[in-house]
Amino acid sequence: MSLLDSLAAGFALVGNVEAFFMLFCGLIVGVVGGAIPGLSATMAVALTLPFTFAMTPINGILLLLGVYKGGIFGGSIPAILIKTPGTPASSATILDGHPLAERGEAGRALGMALYASCTADAVSNLALILFAGWLASFALNFGPPEFFALILFSLTIIAGVSGESLLRGALSALAGLLLATVGLDLIYGTNRFTFGDPNMMGGLNFIAVLIGLFAIPEIIAMAWNPVAHLGKTRALGKSRCSLADYLGSFKSIIRGSMIGVFLGSIPGIGAAPSAFLSYSEARRTSKNKANFGKGEIEGVAASEAGNNGVAGATLIPLLALGVPGDVITAIIIGAFMVHGLQPGPMMFVLNADIIYGLFIGLIVSSVFLLLVGSIAIRGFRFVADVPKRILMPGVLVLCIYGVFAVNNNIFDVGVMFVMGWLGYVMMRNRIPAAPFLIAFILGPLLEDNFRQSMLMSGSDPLILFRGPITWTFWTLTAITVVAITRSTLRQKVPLS
Amino acid sequence: MSQKSLHLRLGTVVVLCALFLVFYAIPSFVFAPSNVGNIVLSPLFWPFVLAGLAGLVGAGLLASGVSSDDTPFEDADTGPSDGPAGWLRLLGLATIMVLVMVALPRLGMVWTSMLAFVACAFLFRTRHPMIAVICAIVVPLLLYAFFAHVAGVAIPQGHFVRLP
Repeated sequence: MSLLDSLAAGFALVGNVEAFFMLFCGLIVGVVGGAIPGLSATMAVALTLPFTFAMTPINGILLLLGVYKGGIFGGSIPAILIKTPGTPASSATILDGHPLAERGEAGRALGMALYASCTADAVSNLALILFAGWLASFALNFGPPEFFALILFSLTIIAGVSGESLLRGALSALAGLLLATVGLDLIYGTNRFTFGDPNMMGGLNFIAVLIGLFAIPEIIAMAWNPVAHLGKTRALGKSRCSLADYLGSFKSIIRGSMIGVFLGSIPGIGAAPSAFLSYSEARRTSKNKANFGKGEIEGVAASEAGNNGVAGATLIPLLALGVPGDVITAIIIGAFMVHGLQPGPMMFVLNADIIYGLFIGLIVSSVFLLLVGSIAIRGFRFVADVPKRILMPGVLVLCIYGVFAVNNNIFDVGVMFVMGWLGYVMMRNRIPAAPFLIAFILGPLLEDNFRQSMLMSGSDPLILFRGPITWTFWTLTAITVVAITRSTLRQKVPLS
Repeated sequence: MSQKSLHLRLGTVVVLCALFLVFYAIPSFVFAPSNVGNIVLSPLFWPFVLAGLAGLVGAGLLASGVSSDDTPFEDADTGPSDGPAGWLRLLGLATIMVLVMVALPRLGMVWTSMLAFVACAFLFRTRHPMIAVICAIVVPLLLYAFFAHVAGVAIPQGHFVRLP
């Protein structure tokens, strides 16, 4: 299929009111979800996932992408107004956003956050469209050994989502890999940790595991301390973001977008490091360097451009290689799988219409984000006023319905509760949940490709080093491991 | 809680879990055909590799715990202001979850969800009891309408009151 044919097929798929309506709804849900501290963009995407089951694949995935993009921007609203980032990616926005709010210029800070987010989002989408197809055509040459080396390299992304301790991140990932072994063996069909229960023979349901890990612990945390969320909201003030403000920060916005695209396309780096790197680069090169940290509008622009530049770029490894770029795209993989789609190079051949439909939807999402964001800035008071002690029981009920709907199976609801308590124990012990989920997704792929390679070669391990592609991934893995070890040692926290 | 105490505790638990996996859980609950020629193709291979790695990570945590200082985490959870009531609420929530699992096939999803909503809202000491009760009725009904009539999911109806 030529590029024009693919584009036409994509237009045919999304060229209807329903698709754009879903995208728009997704952005609203995402902005609201991101704006409520403690709910987060990740949880908003996870909770929206069950609603996509009844939709066509393109509508469902556009809805989730809308939630993702809206959530990343929405996180900046409480970061600026109540000094509490709605998502970890908005942490850098606090540095200058909240001092601006304290000076009565919250409206100006939020306006800049919105314009910087939309600009970075558009740049990121453009990068996705330009690079994903190229990468996928390259990946068509991959066999099981190449995929094994790629997935092994992708597992190093766990270092990026491990937070403060690499060892605790590795522990979380190992738990995810172990849990992924539950079910029938991939080759011989024998039982592994099924305890004779037929419900466990197909393995644990991915949606139940992810909702259990990301949504239920927040509800349990609410039971532990129901007043932990209470905070103080700042007024918007009368000042607004002007064209001069935007143009004055334009260089930082574009630089931040590029940083976001680069870091976002590497699996595991995520939006928060990108936002901080963009912020520090803006501070280093700005002529208002002394104002950074005290309420500099360019600081808000840089951090927001950095975190939104990641949003489109994380879809590059997802669509082209089938490897999630971060934890939210790991959840979005679930939506692809529920609809019988397998992201990766073959999707560009078999489902080019969906890929190009998504591209078109993503371009439109930047415009929609501008519209939804403008309204959200004014309406944040209503969002902030939602009583969390009523919201969380609602989330619990939503989780029960959503998880049951995947397989019409009450057993999955039980799995979700158990995973919720596991997630809570992990949270209390400062063990990150993201490596668990990523390993749970990648684990079966890693094992499957390893055993296929062994079958192909008659158990000769040298097949894992055949050709330049495998060597490239092995080299990248080695470089990443060395870099992680060096940076850990440099922080004077030995392997922790 | 300090990094030292956390890593020592986690390391001990992880090493014990790894030993449990290697010596009991994997031999007892992972089944391999007797005619597998090569160990790397056996269904046992991958779980043993992961259990071994878990043991290494556990040892790493213990080593890290021994070498870390005893400074508490800056953002360590100091717990709820009302002391042991926090533990009671956790127990209450666990009980609600167990009851949900018991009640789902008997009462149906809608009625169970309504009761779970109200129970949770009061467990969290809501300051808006009337809104909580209204939401407890409306939210499960709206979700039922969506999943049963739009998504075509067969929501469990229970033995008593059935919804259209």
